[in-house]
Amino acid sequence: MKIDKNELLAKVSEMKRNGFDYLVAITAVDYIKTVQALYFLRNLEDNKDEVLEIELLPDNPSLPTIIHLFKGANWYERELSEMFGIKIEGRNAKRLLLEKWDGKAAPLRKSFAWNAPYESSD
Amino acid sequence: MHLMRVVIDVPVRINVGPIHPSTHGVLRLVVDVEGDKIENMEAHIGFLHRGVEKLLENRMYMQACPHMEKLDYFAPMSYDELYVAAVEQAYGIELKEKAMYVRTILLELQRIASHLASIGFLCNDIGQLFTAFMWSFKDRDMVLKLLEAATGTRMFYVNMRIGGLVRDLPPGFEDSAIELLDYLSKRIPAYEKYLEKNPVFMERNKGIGVISRDEAKNLGITGPVLRGSGVSYDIRKNKPYYVYEKLNFRIQVRNEGDNFARYKVRMLELRESIRIVREALKKMPPEGSAVGMPIRLIGPPVKNKITITERELPRGECMIYLVADPQRPYRAYIRSANFINLSAIEEMCKGQRFADIFSIIGGLDMVMADVDK
Repeated sequence: MKIDKNELLAKVSEMKRNGFDYLVAITAVDYIKTVQALYFLRNLEDNKDEVLEIELLPDNPSLPTIIHLFKGANWYERELSEMFGIKIEGRNAKRLLLEKWDGKAAPLRKSFAWNAPYESSD
Repeated sequence: MHLMRVVIDVPVRINVGPIHPSTHGVLRLVVDVEGDKIENMEAHIGFLHRGVEKLLENRMYMQACPHMEKLDYFAPMSYDELYVAAVEQAYGIELKEKAMYVRTILLELQRIASHLASIGFLCNDIGQLFTAFMWSFKDRDMVLKLLEAATGTRMFYVNMRIGGLVRDLPPGFEDSAIELLDYLSKRIPAYEKYLEKNPVFMERNKGIGVISRDEAKNLGITGPVLRGSGVSYDIRKNKPYYVYEKLNFRIQVRNEGDNFARYKVRMLELRESIRIVREALKKMPPEGSAVGMPIRLIGPPVKNKITITERELPRGECMIYLVADPQRPYRAYIRSANFINLSAIEEMCKGQRFADIFSIIGGLDMVMADVDK
């Protein structure tokens, strides 16, 4: 289901009320012209799945946090911001989760050369 | 006379790791304790982060299998199969019935090996090292020997190919499998008898790390940890793949939500897996071959075709979101069960005693390579 970034919070809370109370995963795909964020939600009772797709512009993308709705979003959102450089509004993680350099590289974006040595800017 | 006064800030911060806190991989925990009680905890992960998802984007489809296997070194075949199944789905390749049966049998044997290891590690974590650990590893080794007979290697099999497997089951596999299953059916009650009458084991697992049903859903935990909290969800039943639909088994659920429930779910699942293998061996068509395609580029590729593949691995539900490209994935997202299960550890440990951290890690059955990816 394609939705707009501004609808995300309303849509996720509406779906949670309608039985989609299990967050499977959050991730993104870099299509170069856009970055697509994906939210996988599941209705465990009715055995139904739903994917929310949000198109973001590749420069300085950002998304609102959904951690108040799903505690399970905690590490997924931090992974998303480190791997794709998507800023999560409403959260300021004190430290990096997976990356051990400077957190500015966004390694899963297509612009990141996978086999070139990476110099930290710090 | 001067009296020395020592002022200790409360809570006290204790660092655990980043060497193995036990046998699960490299994990660092920063724990705030007041006395023996955990006030707060923070898990530091990422020490084994090697960017598997990025590596997959730069490997041809079949080249990626060895990488997938190293994600979970206690159930390598399950991960291998997950990836191959995702590629098969993207290319629309149907499996022959024989191949489906063989895969189901091997995957369930892998689950048995993995659950046995997890019981051994749980005992190791709570200091019950010798008896149960040695028992379970001896029994696991017997399963590995059977898998070695079927695949050629003991641990990292890489025996899945697009459309089937590398080779058919060897002659005599069925008899040795049934012999092993008979032996394991006798062993499992022995484990339960030994562990559940052991006051140390019970004390350190009952009522530890309790997660309620609603909390479990909210945290998004999966696999035996989710089923130990009373949520009946198993991909093998809810979205059946291969021949699981034709086989008779039940989802094992416990309602307590504590560490003991997680252990018990695994014990019950061992029995179910034995049932599944027995039945699949009986129903497997005797004729036909399970061999898949040789390693080479397959079919006319579909640009940016998107597929979602879900599988019930021993440690929980894993998913691959695959954006297929010619020759290699454009993007392969791996939802790993351990990552989400470990993210719940902070919630589980709050209010517990310091020593319970290790029972909880054992109960979650962590493999850190899978968490860090």
